[in-house]
Amino acid sequence: MSGPTDVRAVRRTGPVIPPGIELVPARRLVEPTVDAWLPLRPGDRPRVTAGQSVVPGMPLADRVRDVRLLDVPARPGGQPGERWSAPAPRDGSGRPRAHSEGEMLFEANGRWWIAAGDDHEPVHAPVEGIVREVRPGVGLVIRTAGSAVPGVLALGDAARGRLEIATDADGELRPRSLDVGSAGAVLVVGARIDAEALTRARAMGIRGVVVATLPGKDRRDYLASEARQRSAIHQLSPFAVLVLHGSQRRPIAEAEMRLLERLAGREVGILGSPPALLFDPQGVPPELDRPGTVHVRSGPLAGRRGQWAGLVGPRRFAGGTHLEAALVRFAADPPIALPIGDLERLT
Amino acid sequence: MTGGARGFYALDLGVATTSAALIGRVAGRLRLLGALSLPSGSPVDALIAALTDRFAGADPDLAADLQTDASHRWPRLTARSTPAAGLAVIAATERSLAPLVLAGQRTGWRVRSASAERLDPLALTGPLLDRDVRAVLVGAAAPAAADERGALGQLAALTAAAATRRPELVIILAGAMAEQAARFEASQDRAGGVLLGPAATAGTPPGTTLRELLTRVRGGADESRPAFALGIGALAAALERRVEGIEIGLDGGVRVHAGPGRSDDAHSLQWAVHASGGLVPTEPDEASIDGVLAWSTVRLDRHRTRDRLRDLRLVPWGSVAGEGATFRLAAARAAIARLVAATPELSALPPADIVVVAGGAFAVAPGPAIALAVADVVRRPGAVQLAYDHARLLAPLGTIGAAPQRTAVVADMASDLLVPLGSVIMPQGMRAGRSGGRLVVHGSAGSSELELLPGGLELVDLPPGETAVAEFQFRDAVRLGTRGRHFAVDVAGGLGGLLVDLRDIPLRLPDRPDRRREVLAAWQEALWMGGDR
Repeated sequence: MSGPTDVRAVRRTGPVIPPGIELVPARRLVEPTVDAWLPLRPGDRPRVTAGQSVVPGMPLADRVRDVRLLDVPARPGGQPGERWSAPAPRDGSGRPRAHSEGEMLFEANGRWWIAAGDDHEPVHAPVEGIVREVRPGVGLVIRTAGSAVPGVLALGDAARGRLEIATDADGELRPRSLDVGSAGAVLVVGARIDAEALTRARAMGIRGVVVATLPGKDRRDYLASEARQRSAIHQLSPFAVLVLHGSQRRPIAEAEMRLLERLAGREVGILGSPPALLFDPQGVPPELDRPGTVHVRSGPLAGRRGQWAGLVGPRRFAGGTHLEAALVRFAADPPIALPIGDLERLT
Repeated sequence: MTGGARGFYALDLGVATTSAALIGRVAGRLRLLGALSLPSGSPVDALIAALTDRFAGADPDLAADLQTDASHRWPRLTARSTPAAGLAVIAATERSLAPLVLAGQRTGWRVRSASAERLDPLALTGPLLDRDVRAVLVGAAAPAAADERGALGQLAALTAAAATRRPELVIILAGAMAEQAARFEASQDRAGGVLLGPAATAGTPPGTTLRELLTRVRGGADESRPAFALGIGALAAALERRVEGIEIGLDGGVRVHAGPGRSDDAHSLQWAVHASGGLVPTEPDEASIDGVLAWSTVRLDRHRTRDRLRDLRLVPWGSVAGEGATFRLAAARAAIARLVAATPELSALPPADIVVVAGGAFAVAPGPAIALAVADVVRRPGAVQLAYDHARLLAPLGTIGAAPQRTAVVADMASDLLVPLGSVIMPQGMRAGRSGGRLVVHGSAGSSELELLPGGLELVDLPPGETAVAEFQFRDAVRLGTRGRHFAVDVAGGLGGLLVDLRDIPLRLPDRPDRRREVLAAWQEALWMGGDR
């Protein structure tokens, strides 16, 4: 058995809030910093080192497109992950010819096995920050310079642009509503968007989309369209989709929407891993909830925020289920009982 | 209990659900005084405080007697679920790979496997360098088979190189691969460590020793699913019955079969943890969507089913009222089906006397509906009692280190530990299309009689605590434990009463989705008042 801690002390300290609210799970609306992860495969050539500062667009690595395996005679020294290059051969005029180079994988039976390739494409820094770790063949980590609004999913490349609010929190952007004037922007498009609108947005030079939900079918259709584009043309301009809440339609949560509205007109970035919207917190002071505020994270009222009005214990809800419930007051309406599982606190 | 405490807390900290139970010593016995489950992320101390306050409000005299105002100093028994982690399994040949993969899958890992027979060293390196992979199991038979000997050196070199790049990786060298340990000497001070393990088939029953090692690597002594297995073992020992346990959590499931022998004996306690037995796969594939649609009473197409599963994975306690509850139970049925399919070795064991279900997957469904869900999926001819670990006690009690003490605590709490869901009687071999015979239930309040209609599901009201004798007179010989026409079975009551399940084994459902939903809803309606509304 583990050692005891004082469970009462939890309730005796801290700010005065209505009893029971501490049972509601809490999460951060804004992460003060994020470690961005960019995966590397064996053969990829990192171009930065740990501790180095990077800015958006700076080359981080060369990704090998045609990786193949070589085995060469072992020579003294060398570690897995280090670079290897063949002695440069020279042509008849004595000039060096193109030569193989790659990444050392392992040594066995007196030979080194190398992941090599001739055709590379650059991987650019999606964000400003400091490289914390570089692991050849595994990935690199960048500690981002800005704050982040976490999402649940990001598609496409990392991208940057000026944030524009295109619809309200519960809106939906149709393909014909897209405006070429939004080229270069990251659009906030409300509750959901379909694959056609995403494809059109990318074609119009829009840099990214922030949306509450993306149904699985649209996700798949968009990714298929992107894959076709990639195979047809050599390189696409960066375009990213950040999904804030999930797959089934619902509005952008009030707290997130208020923050996005405050960020409108500013430069923001969309990161893939972890999925997040990055921004410079300078001039955007945190807007704290007043004590007793809870947010509805799921259910028919998803996205709304209200005031905690007390714990009510197990309640019978639709479908004959009995769930731990709390009373929540929305605006001036009488409080209603909601399952605690549908609630969260934002810190 | 230590330090003169008059009670303790049992905590089950799951990936999706946090549960706390308050246990006190009352009249010389350990009694369950209250339990509370909430979404994970709810602070444990707040949960315990709310639970204790609720108990003190309900029975202030007993609370004063137990001195619950000092309960913050009471000990805590804690079981916690570690999210399923990645295990890369590599071997020289496909033949030697198969038992290693099975060992990984049966201990709750998400397995990525590859063999030198099929893939080149570059492709083999990929999984080892994937950051979602936490451990590498590289193995061979002991002694090495002729067709794998030539590749062992290269496999070891490749793994040692990956270990150099990723010091946090745990490396397990199994069977004859352990002879290659010298290649890893340069990386002895790595955080992950290099472990020497037995061959995949070593131990009795075969594979036991490697599975024990993989279980230790995956989680600590308080890991919830192995602890649940030990809890079931203790229950079987305490009750001197054969007990089957099925626990379904968000990120994995465990199936346990325990006989009445020693509670930690490998022969009397067999279990398997499977990541595929979780309520929702990390990324729902077509097969898992088919599995949920097969049980869903909610009209959904494939795309919307996938979306709902993804959202259920993101917020497991979200939208669980109304349709959400029945959808969640459909997902739970699909998870049980995956778990049963993944554990044929447990299905081959003699049928259990009691089936205990547990886990967050069932947290919002009423008891009778849980009983039906289990009867729908776990279909074996015979009679079985169903019970529900409603306070999620078995895993925390399973963390008690000494087997005799564990069994003693479980025996002391046996009457509080489980909610009886009822008894299920499932004959096999009834001919369709006509009356199959008659059933007379002799209970304390008298006898009731009903006709046995093949393909049907008959419910007999038998409340918790009641016992009865069910006397069957079948028209033709059926299989019900043994083969025969006349049976008298002792049955115990529960929230769902007595379920006389005359449906096919295995269950056959209509192919047309609308007709299938109707049939499922009709069965469920009888046991889930207000479901789907």
